[in-house]
Amino acid sequence: MDEKKLVDILSDDHAPDVDENARKRAVNMSVAAFKTAQNEKNTQTSQGTSVFSRLMGIGNKKIGTPRMEQQIEKNKRSKFLYGATATAMALVLIGGLSLTQLSDTVDRYEEQGVASNPIEQSKDTSIPKERVANLGELFASEKDEETTSDDEEVAPVYVEAVDVQNEATINEAVGADIRGVPVVKDMTPVPIETPTTGRDVPTVEQFADRLRVGKAQGLDSKSKNTEVDPLHQWRVLQEERLSTGTANVLGKNVAENKPSFLHPIEPIHPLPEYHQNRDKFEKFTPSSFKQVATDPVSTFSSDVDTASYAFIRKSINNGELPSPSQVRAEEMINYFDYAYPFSGNLSEPFKPSVTIVDSPWAKGRKLMHVGVKGYDVGTEALRSNIVLLLDVSGSMRAPDKLPLVKSSMKMLLDSLRADDTISIVTYAGRTSVVLKPTKVSERSRILTAMNILRSGGGTAGAAGIDLAYDMAERGFDKRAVNRVILATDGDFNLGTKDLGELKRKIEAKREKGIFLSVLGFGTGNYNDHLMQILAQNGNGTAAYIDSLKEAQKVLVEEATSSLFTIAKDVKFQVEFNPNAVAEYRLIGYETRALKREDFNNDKIDAGDIGAGHTVTAIYEFVPVGSDAVTMDPLRYDNQTVTKAAKPAVGQNEEYAFVKVRYKLPQGNTSKLITRAVTQNDYVPMLSSAPCGPEQACTQATHDLHFATAVAAYAQKLQGGHYVGDFSYDNIIMLAQSGKGPDPYGYRSEFINMVRLTKSLSR
Amino acid sequence: MVYLMADTGEIELIKRATHGDADAFEVLVNDYYEVMFKMAYKWCGNQRDAEDITQEACIKLARGIGGYKGKSKFTSWLYVLVINTAKDWYKSQNRHPEGTELLEVVVAEDPQSDQKLYTRQVLAEVNKLPDAEKESLLLVMGQGLSHKEAARLSGVKESTISWRIHEARKKLQNIFGKEERYG
Repeated sequence: MDEKKLVDILSDDHAPDVDENARKRAVNMSVAAFKTAQNEKNTQTSQGTSVFSRLMGIGNKKIGTPRMEQQIEKNKRSKFLYGATATAMALVLIGGLSLTQLSDTVDRYEEQGVASNPIEQSKDTSIPKERVANLGELFASEKDEETTSDDEEVAPVYVEAVDVQNEATINEAVGADIRGVPVVKDMTPVPIETPTTGRDVPTVEQFADRLRVGKAQGLDSKSKNTEVDPLHQWRVLQEERLSTGTANVLGKNVAENKPSFLHPIEPIHPLPEYHQNRDKFEKFTPSSFKQVATDPVSTFSSDVDTASYAFIRKSINNGELPSPSQVRAEEMINYFDYAYPFSGNLSEPFKPSVTIVDSPWAKGRKLMHVGVKGYDVGTEALRSNIVLLLDVSGSMRAPDKLPLVKSSMKMLLDSLRADDTISIVTYAGRTSVVLKPTKVSERSRILTAMNILRSGGGTAGAAGIDLAYDMAERGFDKRAVNRVILATDGDFNLGTKDLGELKRKIEAKREKGIFLSVLGFGTGNYNDHLMQILAQNGNGTAAYIDSLKEAQKVLVEEATSSLFTIAKDVKFQVEFNPNAVAEYRLIGYETRALKREDFNNDKIDAGDIGAGHTVTAIYEFVPVGSDAVTMDPLRYDNQTVTKAAKPAVGQNEEYAFVKVRYKLPQGNTSKLITRAVTQNDYVPMLSSAPCGPEQACTQATHDLHFATAVAAYAQKLQGGHYVGDFSYDNIIMLAQSGKGPDPYGYRSEFINMVRLTKSLSR
Repeated sequence: MVYLMADTGEIELIKRATHGDADAFEVLVNDYYEVMFKMAYKWCGNQRDAEDITQEACIKLARGIGGYKGKSKFTSWLYVLVINTAKDWYKSQNRHPEGTELLEVVVAEDPQSDQKLYTRQVLAEVNKLPDAEKESLLLVMGQGLSHKEAARLSGVKESTISWRIHEARKKLQNIFGKEERYG
């Protein structure tokens, strides 16, 4: 038996990965034990004779019983005072009491305290008023500090032990509290003579909360300092940390050295309140009508995401109407597949088709549907190198999260080719590579790797992205699609990075040919805004998976669209003819609006189109001469001159001119497609000849009806400012006439959703 | 105090924790959990026991962190804490490490390799050694400590450590043979 061999064997690391739940349990329990131990230490130090004797350099001595009793009395009393002061602080914070009222309160408690302890009566017990005033100033200064430096928490402070002898000292202690003076910032060992307690100093808000906790447990304020279960206190603090989103636990000096601890630790059992709605959506105002005379050009980026639709469906199915900012009309319209005629090829992947119909919800207005369908590469799919970046943090434990992610990913596996490469990276408190780049043919290995995934820990998202890109580079295949797919509930900790840095990183990888897509899961803290940013900068799609059915749609039926980009940076620009159109409004795309000059600037990033994706934009416009205009014409417009020079709106008069710019996936210069929109594009069927059992319609007609119904529904959910009295019943009728064959049942599902919405909005 | 560690951030944390800073302690225990878990795993060879022992050791650490005076590497100090916890834990449970899972994991990693099979056999035998010998072996061979350091941490004489290692190796050699000694 060779010694070297033995050393090799023994020093080698054979341990399995740490179970995050076990880690959390151990950390929770030990921190609680630590606090208890510290509290015990405090009690021991406070059994010393007095501050006076300590100042004189006399150590803690054993004291006789009567003295001890006195001491205990004093302790009780000072705890009471401490509690009273804390209550006063909380009151000031909550009720905005004046300083005089505060001092009155303290005085009143003071009197009670004195009455209960006759021994101390001889001493001067009045609080110096200027200290109370200082207290107020300190509140103010603390608030200032908070506003200037959000991410910097007050460094832990050692305050004087609780057994302070007079009120002045108490105020000093509390003052130190508020100021957050880093007494031991330089970390030199504290001399033994100084009675330190190691009490961790809560922020004022935490303080107020502890009071609340104390009361909730039926304890009065005076006993809260010692009698609240430290473990419970700790959990309360943890939850605050989670709910405020502050991951920074320590003072700056530690945080600088320990960037790895920038993630919050979840409590073992997240309480229900934790799941209160913290979903983050970018706020926007639905676009309004624009006058062609002053603003004839509309520019926007394509958007094939569907996240908004799935999120709203989940919301409605839970019996809640979504908030307007969750409704992105374009994502709802584009959730459905429309059969636009041009099939295309890889070098010319699409062409816009335009149809004009009368607006079903406003007489005198018209709708202009601009649609493109990307060339469908079909089954002769390209090879792909996929890196799954899975969020396995504690918040992913819910059944609609990690378990759904796992099943979804197995579905994805089915839609990949045998020689495709897949790797799995997870992030929680830490990041780890669960599966190195592996051929899809090694199915059992991949499934085993997925099956062992467990949730628990923080959300080191940015670090996870780094690792995922590393894996993507390892398996990089020039001829394949290289894509990182992030699956998360949106709890995404940027760690040491800021958002700009992360965006730049994603952009840089995109230039190298590695794209990023996002799959959102679960509700409660879904950060839609961040997910959109990530996917948009990574040339990827953002989809929201609320059920296995949706996973089937996104990852199996639309796998090719989600994986294979056929055109990137797709931008639309529509110029309206002021002679034919008075006003127009683009439905949706508010968050995708581009500046007019960005259209021709190839440096400006825009949305991508995958194989077989359809993009539909619907404009509502008011033709010249209609009395449905919302704005008065400009009095000093020179329109009269142009009108005289040009013929009136005739059969061949152009309503608008549509331009589409796109780049091929490998290209860096954009191509331009244009199309004029004329009276010939008008289809007179929506109002006059609705599709029904009596009348067979083409798929195009179905699509037109259905897309219009979805547009109406989206606008209703946003408040319905422009759809007049078009009711949910009207929407249902319109959608039904546009349902068509509906092979997967998505359109029927939509109709049911509208029915549900109708009953919810009553 | 002299802290024999390179990472100043860790030293800072340990100092703060020894002085009663609960936040610092939390970071520390969070950071060292994995190290402790791996130590415990080496001792008992199965995940469930290792988790229980690590948890127990974390609690012990909470009560006893003040006992760390910076005279040895923190990890070495921690190692002894974990080993002692493991011994106590098994004593209280009135049983011995099973170590079955360890074997499975090693095998599962690469079923074809004879080398892994050999490793697994050696670890199984190490697990069967008396606690004292196992401890010394893990400290010296596993952690790379000198006999002197191991002696100080275990609270025994240096010669005792040397003796235990000698005994342990003798037993292992009886099982695995001496032929590979210079090979």
